[in-house]
Formats: sequence, C-alpha cells, structure tokens
Amino acid sequence: MLKDITIGQFFPGNSLLHRLDPRVKIVLTIAFIAAVFVPKTWAGLLLAMAFSVMAVALSRLPFALIWKSIKPILPIVLITALLSVFYVREEGDPLFSWWIITVYKKGIFNAVFLASRIVCLIVGSSLLTYTTEPTTLTDALERLMKPLRLIRVPVHDLAMMMTIALRFIPTLIEETDKIMSAQKARGADLESGNLMQRIRALMPIMIPLFASSFRRAYELATAMECRCYNGGEGRTRMKSYRMAARDYVALVLTAMLIAGMIVLNVFLPNVI
Amino acid sequence: MAILEVRQLNYVYSAGTPYEKAALRDVSFSVEKGDIVGVIGHTGSGKSTLMQQLNGLLTPMSGQVLLDGRDIWENPKKIRDIRFRVGMVFQYPEYQLFEETVRRDIAFGPRNMGLSEEEIERRVRRAATFAGLREELLEVSPFDLSGGQKRRAAIAGVMAMEPEVLVLDEPTAGLDPRGREQLLSRIVRYARENGTTVLLVSHSMEDVAAVADKVLVMNKGEVAMMAPTAEVFSRAEELQAMGLTVPAVTQIFMKLRDSGYAVGENAYTVEQAVRRLLPLIKGGAAGC
Repeated sequence: MLKDITIGQFFPGNSLLHRLDPRVKIVLTIAFIAAVFVPKTWAGLLLAMAFSVMAVALSRLPFALIWKSIKPILPIVLITALLSVFYVREEGDPLFSWWIITVYKKGIFNAVFLASRIVCLIVGSSLLTYTTEPTTLTDALERLMKPLRLIRVPVHDLAMMMTIALRFIPTLIEETDKIMSAQKARGADLESGNLMQRIRALMPIMIPLFASSFRRAYELATAMECRCYNGGEGRTRMKSYRMAARDYVALVLTAMLIAGMIVLNVFLPNVI
Repeated sequence: MAILEVRQLNYVYSAGTPYEKAALRDVSFSVEKGDIVGVIGHTGSGKSTLMQQLNGLLTPMSGQVLLDGRDIWENPKKIRDIRFRVGMVFQYPEYQLFEETVRRDIAFGPRNMGLSEEEIERRVRRAATFAGLREELLEVSPFDLSGGQKRRAAIAGVMAMEPEVLVLDEPTAGLDPRGREQLLSRIVRYARENGTTVLLVSHSMEDVAAVADKVLVMNKGEVAMMAPTAEVFSRAEELQAMGLTVPAVTQIFMKLRDSGYAVGENAYTVEQAVRRLLPLIKGGAAGC
C-alpha cells in the first residue's frame, strides 16, 4: 500500500553524526563528494573507503539501511564500470583481446575506481539525509546560501518552498491513498487495460488530488498570512546553530583527508 | 438469513515490521437485510478498517466476510462486483468528485458496472432525487456546488450503483445541524424504499440514536456490543468505560432518575424524551 512508502530518509538517532551542525554536514558532504574524485592511487582510494566506513560507523545506523541505499543503483554502477573497461586504450600489450574487444590493465583499474567512487559518493550523501531531518536540512541550506541574497536569489522563499513541499509529501500520499480507495469502491479499474486505458483510469485520482492540493495551498497561504508571514525580511529564528568542537574536528579531518589524497597522488605512482 | 456476516475476522497493519498493530481481532457479527446499523467506537477502535473489509478494499488476514452467504473473496478476480454490491461512502466523500458535470460524476459507478446508457440515466436521476439534487444541478460542474451539495452528489454517486449494502463513514461530519438531519433522513428514506441494508459509522450518538435499528460497538479492534439501539444505550457505564458517550437526552434522563424522578425507561432521542416527559410535567412534578 502507498502508506508503506517511507519518504524523507531521515533515521532518528543520537550519534555523533546526528549531532553535527547541519551546515557543517552539508559542507562536508559536498567536500567528500569532490574528494572521492581526487585519488589516483590505490592508497588514496582505500583512504576514501576507510573514511566512508568510519562515517557509517560513527552514524550508528544499521548496515541494512546503508545497503538499502546502495542496492538500487548497484546495477547501474556495475554496467557503467563494465563499459568503462572497454574505453581505455593504453600503450603496450592488452591483457585480453577478442574481436573488437580489447581489455587493458588500466581499463580494469579504471572500472574499479569508478565503481568504488560511486559507492562512496552514495554512502556519503545518504548519510547526510539519514542523519539530518529534512526540515533541518532545508534550514541549514538556507543559511549556507545566505550570501546568494546579494545577487538577488530569493533564498528564504526557496527554502520555505522546500520545507512546505517536504511537509506535504506524507499528507498527499495519505490523500492519494484515500482517493484511490474511494474510486476503487466505485469500481474504478486501475490494474488492467492498455496504456491509454490506464492513463485514462488515472484521471479520477489525479483530478481530485490536484483539486485538494490547490485547496490546501489556499488554506495554508491564508493561515500563514493570518500569522503575519511576509517573507524572510526581519524574520528571526527559533533555533540558532553554534559550531561545537566536534564540528571543527570534522572539518579538519575532512580537509586532512583531501590533503592526504593529493599528497598520495604526488608521491605514489598513479594507476589511472 | 443475514445479508452480511463477518466471521472471526483478523487484520493487522504493517505485518512483520516493528510497527505491527492489530486493527481487528476475532471480529464476528451479522447484519439482517434491510437493517440500519449504527457503528460506533472510539478513534482507532477499528471501525474504518472493518468497513473497508466489507467491500474488499482490505483483505482479511484470517476469517471471512460473507455477503448473502458467500465469501466475498471466493473469487478474488470478481472483487469489483462485490464493490458494486457493497457501496462505500468514505469520510468527506466530496473530495473524490472529478467529472465535468454532476451527472457524469454520479454516473461513474454505474458506468463502471457496464450498464446500458438508459439504465445509467435512470439510476442517476433516481439517486439524484434521493440525494435531493435538483435536475438543473446535474449539468453543473461538481466543483461549483456548495459544500452540502457536493457531499450529497458524492453520496448519490454511490447510491446510483444501487448496492445491497450501503456503508457510510461519518456522512454528516462537518455539516450544520439542519444539514445533518436532512441528510440522515434522506439516507433512511433511500434505505427503506430500496430495502438497502445500511451501516452508518458515526461519532455522533445523536445521529445513531436517530436512525439506527441496531448498534455495533467497536472497542480496541473487537466487537464490544451488537444489539438493538435501546439496549446499547441503556448500557451507558460500559460505553463510557470505552471512551464513548450516550446521547445527551439519555444522559439527562439518567441524571433525572438519579435525582429521584420517576421518568421511567431511558429515552435516546429528543422525540422520545418529549413523549415521556410531557405527561410528567403536565401532571405536576411527580415523585418529588
């Protein structure tokens, strides 16, 4: 049933990662995503993986949860890696050659790097969403993007839109569920027929859903106006974030990771 | 024979997860043809879950729902036919209107049944009349109707399928007292004229007292009572223990009796109360 879908991947907890300043977490995630593309040496790649494993351990999330986020994209990762094997041409003898397929050692290395990078990248970004509440996340994003206001980007409004959108996902799922049941009770057939018939069968669900979304939007807008909401101007915050020691440690650690990878690239023989 | 019979029905939400929650436990009861049954229970007592079992929107984990003596899941492929025979009006049904005109919206159910155009037209008119929608309203967009009209149009959409059993979940929620009374009397008239069996889920004891022949009381996923209306409301203490109340007039009668007035049997509608109290008042304060 639709109700079983979990949206907003937040997984409540009280680990070190959960308690990090959300702004720091966002910056670190972006830095980490960039960092996984730095290493050109085996040692550097291992460092990136070790860092991911450490982060997962610190988050105290069940491993099954991490696996759940990797699993769906695994086929894509494998296919991409496999294809990349054939794209590498190198001086010297190929490892293997048959018909138009030629495989070089560097190609295989390339594939391994690519696959590990993507996996690290997904683990890193899903850790962010697993350990941060969606609303906190948008709040932190708003603060990080504050400087963009200088070039007239409506940062507050964008963040408010995101918060509202997130808030209404479960409501709309519930609503869809109800409307579907009601139309099924009137004999709506959603499961059979060809493509056109199925699209037409969706109308009795889509139209009420749109109608109720508009209704909710009007109601919410009125409610916000009644409470004197007039945008971000002069608005203060209930929660203010203060960087703690752990945040600085995390920042330094990640900076060191990137520095370490660069050093390894310089001093060790590059494999790709 | 009972038109609807529920046997040992069990249902669990989110089975197999830590959030597992029993919604129905060994629910058994039966409803006679033509009866109007009020279904009451505290929020989360399993009323809505039970109602959705009756037309196969939910599948029982164990137990059976028998319609006219036959298991509704006898042939899972034919469950759609069961939904035409057990009409279900959800809470706030006006939010499911979607067609361009009221006429087409009411015709949605009958059209899904594969009826002929003439038959559809006949049913739409009939249902609209029972729901109190004037002829000219049929050509209007359902989104242009007033709140009460929308509600009635949505109910007409289910009535037009001419189901043998009509299940209504809080049909009067959010209506003003006059709208409530009118809607209830329309439902009763429809049921009596068509011999339709009605299950009416309600939080309003007054509504239930006004229309129900029998009352089904749900408590924590189990059937607490299933008895004629008068009997159920005479067990006020038990109802209160389940977080339910009895109609306001019944409460007044109980208070009167506690204070030593010879008011006789409990009344549960205002009409009964008037009939019982008027002679007493005219004859002087008896029993004082």
